[in-house]
Amino acid sequence: MIWYNDLNDGIVISTRIRLARNLDKTPFPAALGDKQRAEVTAKLHAAVLESNSALAVEFERYELDNIARNKKISMLEEHLISPQMVDGKGHSVLVNKSRNMSIMFMEEDHIRLQVIMGGYCVDEAFDMADKVDDVLEESLTYAFDERFGYLTACPTNAGTGLRASVMMHLPALEITGNITRVLQSVSGIGVAVRGLYGEGTNAEGCLYQISNQITTGLSEKEIIQKLKSVIERVSEMEKQARNILAKKHKAEIEDKLYRSYGILKYARSVTSAEAKAMLSDVMLGQNMGIIKCDGKMTPLELIIKTAPAVIMSDGKLSPEERDTARAELIRSNI
Amino acid sequence: MMDLFSELFDMFEGMDMFSPQTVVQKDNRVCPVCGHTWSDFLRSGKFGCGECYKTFRAGAEQVIKQTQSNSVHAGKIPSKSSADIKAKRRLEELRKQLKDAVNKEDYESAAKLHAEIKAMEGKGIK
Repeated sequence: MIWYNDLNDGIVISTRIRLARNLDKTPFPAALGDKQRAEVTAKLHAAVLESNSALAVEFERYELDNIARNKKISMLEEHLISPQMVDGKGHSVLVNKSRNMSIMFMEEDHIRLQVIMGGYCVDEAFDMADKVDDVLEESLTYAFDERFGYLTACPTNAGTGLRASVMMHLPALEITGNITRVLQSVSGIGVAVRGLYGEGTNAEGCLYQISNQITTGLSEKEIIQKLKSVIERVSEMEKQARNILAKKHKAEIEDKLYRSYGILKYARSVTSAEAKAMLSDVMLGQNMGIIKCDGKMTPLELIIKTAPAVIMSDGKLSPEERDTARAELIRSNI
Repeated sequence: MMDLFSELFDMFEGMDMFSPQTVVQKDNRVCPVCGHTWSDFLRSGKFGCGECYKTFRAGAEQVIKQTQSNSVHAGKIPSKSSADIKAKRRLEELRKQLKDAVNKEDYESAAKLHAEIKAMEGKGIK
């Protein structure tokens, strides 16, 4: 099941684990020319697929240079590839059958192994990534140093090469005006907060990615434990804020959320920012038991499917046409 | 030519990123694997290959210390990496446990740990 259809808690949307790995004695992707890059990719594919029959059966290989942009965009919305891999050159990716694991080649590092799952399951996702990392390592020699750990292009990933990140929906903290304070306190303790698609993206639709900033000096288990304690605290605060809204501002919040639902159900033109904010309201309404949606897609799925790049991928649309297409997609599926 | 941007660059100078005051500035070596220099790193914030960490060890250590809480890796070790690293890690762990045991006045465990440490040291592990 694609992670964004697998919601349970409504606050923690998804969990992602990423391990960055590089080959020993081989320049990192940015320092490779096109030809060398193709050679290293071939070496990686051969090592991963030919020597591991289990992986060869489980994974499908995508050469991104030979894939249409809209297909790449849908892989991006599933978070199976990174934004840089949509328009870059020489990237490839292996995706498993359950589509919750992808092994990206030639991103910033030679290998980025990623597990993404719906809901809150950091330990489970890490164990899965760790096991496949062990299998890969049987046929590859990683760049590793006793002191620095796994060596990566950016020193902010060196050590464990681990980025554990959890996507959270925090609308009640935004509505009650507490979000800035909460996020500031979190970022002071080695935890980074980013938007939906990672580094450099905005937190639209009240969706925040919370991840570890420290990758070295702590073991993988310690990093995960620290992150989990932050997630659980933020999650608790969001719950409290929702309770306050439900108890003390019931009429106001119901009105706000139903207005958004109403607009999305009938509007003929919706901008990307509007869509995200209002779909976030509908999501909150659903989770608080205020709104019962009976459409074909969940509000979260609609947030993802109506992002400008995703709408664009169906053809070259002008901004006005995009807003119309977005409104129609939401109207018929919400 | 008019110097339009010098003010802008002056502004960045005081920022505490990889600024001259805090990071190794001069290193004329060239990485033997990827051909990168230390100034390539200062410019991009990225290393060219794993060997760069060894070539520019002092600089790498400084940068990691600044961006991370600690510059010494404490996580997973590739199984192929020499058994030596694993044995050293184990020894460090045992020493930590011994200290804890002594602090808790758990002398029975401390004796066992001490014996295990001695045995490892006897094999030449430091």
